[in-house]
Amino acid sequence: MIIDVHGHLGPWFFSPYGGTASDNLRIMDAYGIDIQLVSGSEAVTYDPTTGNAAVAREIGDQPRLRGLFVIDPRNLAAAEKQLTELLPTGLFVGAKIHTHYSATPTGSPAMADALRLCAQAGLPVLVHTWGREILDLGTTVDSVDGVHAIAAHLAGPDWRLAPEAASRSDRLWLEPNYSVAESGRLRWVLDRVDPRRMLFGSDSTLTDPGVTLGALHAARLSQEEERLIMSENAAQLFALDVGAFDA
Amino acid sequence: MILDCDLLIGRDIVYGRSVGAEELDARLTEAGIAGGAVASLRALLFDAPSGNDEARVAAAAHGWLPVAGVDLRDALGAEREIERAAEIGIRLMRFASTREGVAGGAPRIRLLARAAAERGLTLLVEGSVPEVAGAFMDLGASVVFLDLHFYDLGEFVLLARQEPGFHTSTRLMGGPDAWETVVGELGAERLVFGTRAGWFEEESVLYRLGTARLSVTDRQLVTAGNLERLAGVGA
Repeated sequence: MIIDVHGHLGPWFFSPYGGTASDNLRIMDAYGIDIQLVSGSEAVTYDPTTGNAAVAREIGDQPRLRGLFVIDPRNLAAAEKQLTELLPTGLFVGAKIHTHYSATPTGSPAMADALRLCAQAGLPVLVHTWGREILDLGTTVDSVDGVHAIAAHLAGPDWRLAPEAASRSDRLWLEPNYSVAESGRLRWVLDRVDPRRMLFGSDSTLTDPGVTLGALHAARLSQEEERLIMSENAAQLFALDVGAFDA
Repeated sequence: MILDCDLLIGRDIVYGRSVGAEELDARLTEAGIAGGAVASLRALLFDAPSGNDEARVAAAAHGWLPVAGVDLRDALGAEREIERAAEIGIRLMRFASTREGVAGGAPRIRLLARAAAERGLTLLVEGSVPEVAGAFMDLGASVVFLDLHFYDLGEFVLLARQEPGFHTSTRLMGGPDAWETVVGELGAERLVFGTRAGWFEEESVLYRLGTARLSVTDRQLVTAGNLERLAGVGA
């Protein structure tokens, strides 16, 4: 079973295709991905309010797609208001914060406040990390009671900082997608971090899942690592009902 | 058969490690890649003549295609290496301006690219396409861009429509439908399988190959035929 904790729904300015749920499912099927957690491309890159609403409309009848509610830390009032509408739908199982599009550093008070909102809402949160900001994320997560966060992209080119970031909080998980990954990266990280702290994420539909699946294959995962990383950690962290997919 | 247009042996001072010919050969074998076009990091980063000799020896030993690299920091030395490569029958030349810290728009690159194109060499070009491609336009050059990222694919399609000799490696074509977009817009002749095995995760590219929606004919071109054509194999 494969659970992808870093998916997107909607069109991207990098590619011409439509960005509907059927695109997600087609790509998931090509790689045997059972469940994908998606944030709206519109919500990440343009407007969280309209983008989150678009995701809710699109995934309502797609049980293999569950939502990540996008939060802009600069406008938590809007996020709180929309959460009261969308959380009861049960469609959103986590949150997503993109540090660059929202211009909010991981070490800032605004990020801490946003993580606090996620904790209050009971939503594990996927946070985009690039470079040294992964270290600040570990520190901030540790300072916010009850929040569970995932560092997306393993800090990109600064992936060697991932073990240090993970050491700063036992409530920080790691997600390995990176489209220009150096060989041997994931084995290096997994030799230093408990596999219970890593979750598969593809960044699809922006990035083809083969990029990360190939990198994980190259890491020559043990059976236990594969079970934990590809599904079990995510099912537990996001409290997903995977019974229907686990046949 | 799968051939990789983007093989490198030697030491990368930034990565802090080396990949030797034997290690690369073992890695390719494990991945199911039969061979490819090999250049030397020594040639690109330290000493072009001895590095290119190293690549030629490795290629001969393993049945790979030799690639001559130039150090663009040394424009006159690069000119000599282009002449030497052409004289000894090398057909593939690697430019790595970004790796060498040379601006992609430096006039020397265009002048050296012209010299290589006039000698019938195919250029394997590193670097971001928006930053480096301009130097190779309007030369009638045969070029494989090794670092085209799928974010820039649209720009490449516009460029390649004007430049029949422009190709892209598959290495960073990691977007859903990126391979199919190249084939649909430009033809399978313009997509060349490349992974930079040992430095990049070749398994990521192989996974994409496994789901690529290519005809049998197009797949053969992408995985081997195009590189063989560009290297003059059988010519």
